[in-house]
Amino acid sequence: MTAMIRRLRSAARVAIAVAIALLPSAATAGSLLEGRVIDRTLANGMRVLLVERPAVPTVSYNVTFRVGSVNERTGESGLAHLFEHMAFKGTTTIGTKDYARERPLLDEIDRLALEIQAEQDKGRAADATRLAELRTRFEALQDEARALVAPNELGIVYDRNGAAGLNASTGVDVTRYTVSLPANRLPLWVAVESDRMTRPVFREFYTERAVVQEERRMRVDNNPGGKLYEAFAAAAFTAHPYGVPTIGWASDVDHLTAPRAREFFDRHYGPANAVIAIVGDLDAEKTFQQVAAAFGAIPARPAPPPVVTLEPAQAGERRIEVEYDAQPQMLIGYHKPDINDPDDPVFDVIESLLSSGRTSRLYTSLVKTRQIAVAASASSGEPGARYPNLFTLEAVPRAPHTLDEVEAALLAEVDRLQREDVPARELDKVLNRLDAALIRSLQSNSGLASQLAYFEAVAGDWRYLLRIRDRMAAVKAEDVRRVAAAWLVKRNRTVARLVPPVVEKAAP
Amino acid sequence: MRARVERHQQAAVERHQQAAAFVFLALVLLGPVATARAAEPSTPADPRAMTFPTVSFSPPKAKRMVLPNGLILYLLEDHELPLVTLSAMIRTGSLYEPADKVGLAALTGTVMRTGGTASLGGDALDDELEFVGAEMGSGIGRDAGSASLNVLKKDLARGAALFADMLIRPAFAPDKVDLAKKQAIEGIRRRNDHPASIASREFNKLLYGADHPYGRESTEATINAITRNDLVAFHRRYYHPNATMIAATGDFDRDDLVKQLIRAFGPWKPEKVTYPAVPPVRDQPAPSVNSIRRDVTQTQVRMGHLGIKQADPDYFALSLLDDILGGQAFSSRLFREVRTKAGLAYSVGSAVIPGNFDRGSFFLYAQTKAGSTAQAISAMKAELEGMVAAPVPERELEEAKQAFLNSFVFSFSSSAQIVNRQMSLEYYGLPADFLERFRANVEKVTTKDLARVARTHLHPDRLIILAVGDERAFDKPLSTFGPVRAITLDQPTAALQPAAQ
Repeated sequence: MTAMIRRLRSAARVAIAVAIALLPSAATAGSLLEGRVIDRTLANGMRVLLVERPAVPTVSYNVTFRVGSVNERTGESGLAHLFEHMAFKGTTTIGTKDYARERPLLDEIDRLALEIQAEQDKGRAADATRLAELRTRFEALQDEARALVAPNELGIVYDRNGAAGLNASTGVDVTRYTVSLPANRLPLWVAVESDRMTRPVFREFYTERAVVQEERRMRVDNNPGGKLYEAFAAAAFTAHPYGVPTIGWASDVDHLTAPRAREFFDRHYGPANAVIAIVGDLDAEKTFQQVAAAFGAIPARPAPPPVVTLEPAQAGERRIEVEYDAQPQMLIGYHKPDINDPDDPVFDVIESLLSSGRTSRLYTSLVKTRQIAVAASASSGEPGARYPNLFTLEAVPRAPHTLDEVEAALLAEVDRLQREDVPARELDKVLNRLDAALIRSLQSNSGLASQLAYFEAVAGDWRYLLRIRDRMAAVKAEDVRRVAAAWLVKRNRTVARLVPPVVEKAAP
Repeated sequence: MRARVERHQQAAVERHQQAAAFVFLALVLLGPVATARAAEPSTPADPRAMTFPTVSFSPPKAKRMVLPNGLILYLLEDHELPLVTLSAMIRTGSLYEPADKVGLAALTGTVMRTGGTASLGGDALDDELEFVGAEMGSGIGRDAGSASLNVLKKDLARGAALFADMLIRPAFAPDKVDLAKKQAIEGIRRRNDHPASIASREFNKLLYGADHPYGRESTEATINAITRNDLVAFHRRYYHPNATMIAATGDFDRDDLVKQLIRAFGPWKPEKVTYPAVPPVRDQPAPSVNSIRRDVTQTQVRMGHLGIKQADPDYFALSLLDDILGGQAFSSRLFREVRTKAGLAYSVGSAVIPGNFDRGSFFLYAQTKAGSTAQAISAMKAELEGMVAAPVPERELEEAKQAFLNSFVFSFSSSAQIVNRQMSLEYYGLPADFLERFRANVEKVTTKDLARVARTHLHPDRLIILAVGDERAFDKPLSTFGPVRAITLDQPTAALQPAAQ
């Protein structure tokens, strides 16, 4: 839970600000929140969650689609994320100067892109002359189409209306579109969002693909932590799509096309796959009427195909190294069940014991007492939560201490979970910290909207938020030992280390 | 400061790429607003044609008080959540640390919190605070010290007492001083792991000079030169009630809280504080092209020059000009030309960073693949030159104004935001109605003003250009833009350091 709150914060990338009177322990977060969340389902299956918070005349909007990189097919990794970028390119009206003239050009561009790709994929047998000719035509067509584009118009319309936090994010489980606006802009938001859920146009597709490749270079290829995480997840999951990076493998991204994005949209962006959460200075009934009128008109679609692949039980430790010119760090991951498993809250408790604050076990042991690391932490629910996922440990050693020393210290703390009962006071501390974290995490309109929509989409019910505290309060010392003994074992783990490359000779 | 979107460089050890965002941004929004309720637009079909009245809002104001010892309080009740936050600003900063002990201010700020107090050791303090889910912190930045406490309402009395102990009677336990120094040194070892942090740091040195308090950085030697006595002395010199302000917000009764704060801080004796002279930022350095070689596939580009102070009357117009150039995402020229149209970068933009006490900076930035480095630099330069050479069209200015004015309400999103801003305006010597003036001035800006501030404050002919990347793979040599100076980093790369595993 705490990991989830953290993740939500970083995913939404908005400053956390205000909210809902949650009282620790006694008056549960539940009762207070429950009475304030208006919860409706449209006939086409779309979920709508509303909370009135009149303190400041602003409203935060969050649309979360139950689709992420986990829904991609082999060879099309990165499609969920690239689609998310395309959702800012506009519709048949927004973002164009003349859609009737633009459309045939876009079709031709898509056709040429496929031809170029097919020729290129012949590798050494590719016809260089033909390729050059195709590319010239492609460039000319793109220029012609670009002349008909009103660039970034969707974002500009929002900006002009005072948008804050206009952004979107894609993860393994969900794709989210967020914005906050002055309180009187509901009709604008309804018009823009219902339009892009219905009539998206994938203009500037192949240029945006290049932008995403730059994003990959920034987040992964030239980022030691990003490099390590990508290789780690790929090693930990041999079958389930959680092993595939959300940003996509570079070669796959190069092969993504607008027609593929269209298929993806048709398959996954149906109204029953969407959750809308709106929080702020609003009248819930009037807001619902406007939302229902516009979004309710979107035709229902068949349910998207389920993710059927299950990760086979791990049958032995996996160890990988990533050579990279940076100081060392490491990650350890253990397979664990999904967010709705009865034992999931036990992992949340373990995460807090190991990782929450300067009195946590990892910080105390590795950073404060033994001083072999500058950072050490744990996280439950990597890289996602909807399907069986990982419990991870990570650490950053302090020279001259080695990854071997750090790994031994991390594993010693895991052993301790299996050997010793957690003292009652430490379990109390976990709950106290959870209560405070829950209150803080609900301090802003956007933070609350984000959490409601996230848990509705991922756990299947926003009331997860109301129940998690009691589920964690029910965790006993013996549960921690049982779960640690069952899951946090050598056979079930993957160890990934970032190490400096071996240099043959001093470089010039 | 204004409703603006700041794109941030990737935070150091941030790795989980699972949440790939559309734009890389964090919001720093100020501003008030609001009341008008939704007007039904006549044509709900086309959002581009919709118009709405500007939302107006009268935000609450904090109460300012001065205790007899000179301590300034700002107080604003907000009963929505059972939480209380105290934030302090202390007049100090790394500006005042000696050149051979760079890092002293930051260490002092850190160990004030970790090293315990006269009454409670650091570990015991951690234990007590964390058990009740409280958060307490302390730090010293370039031109201010800060501290904060966030507690559940029920723990306020005890929290306030611990907060006062930390500010007034830190113990600087020797083992915690030692730990903080070791961690600082490890940070130095790791500072070249991310090309973005290399670029930010080295660009700053190029602007202000590697020996100036605004440009210099700690080294293993300066950290090793710092002793516990230095920390004690630094704290003793600067931490006094007459150099401190505390802002309180949350679920408290004002009169009760004032009594508690008087009990905790009242006995703190004022003392005259003297500050070492900070050398003024020297004149605009000569234009230059600088290269730092790293074996990476994406180049970090920075280009810019010294900027203005926040108190400069041109700041308002310059800020709008920056929004148009690259300070905003979707609506800016750099985003449109370099990202949307050319596909050269995911992260691209510009920033006017106003100086608090001396000159600030102005720069353009981008990250682009090695093979398009020169193309990106040329495209960015062209946009900057265009800003100076041609007047900004009326329509573009109007868009920027609307964006600013309509988002103004987000400057008042929380009580903490309101009260902390009031405190920091006073700290930096800005008028209490700075934001209202900002808004009024923005409304008045004309395209002529933009042309004038562009000519006065943007200098495309005097750019300091920095590229961190693999020049062997650039599309054109950097020398295309002028004689190149190669910068060698002090810290060797990990591959060349003695293997520590």
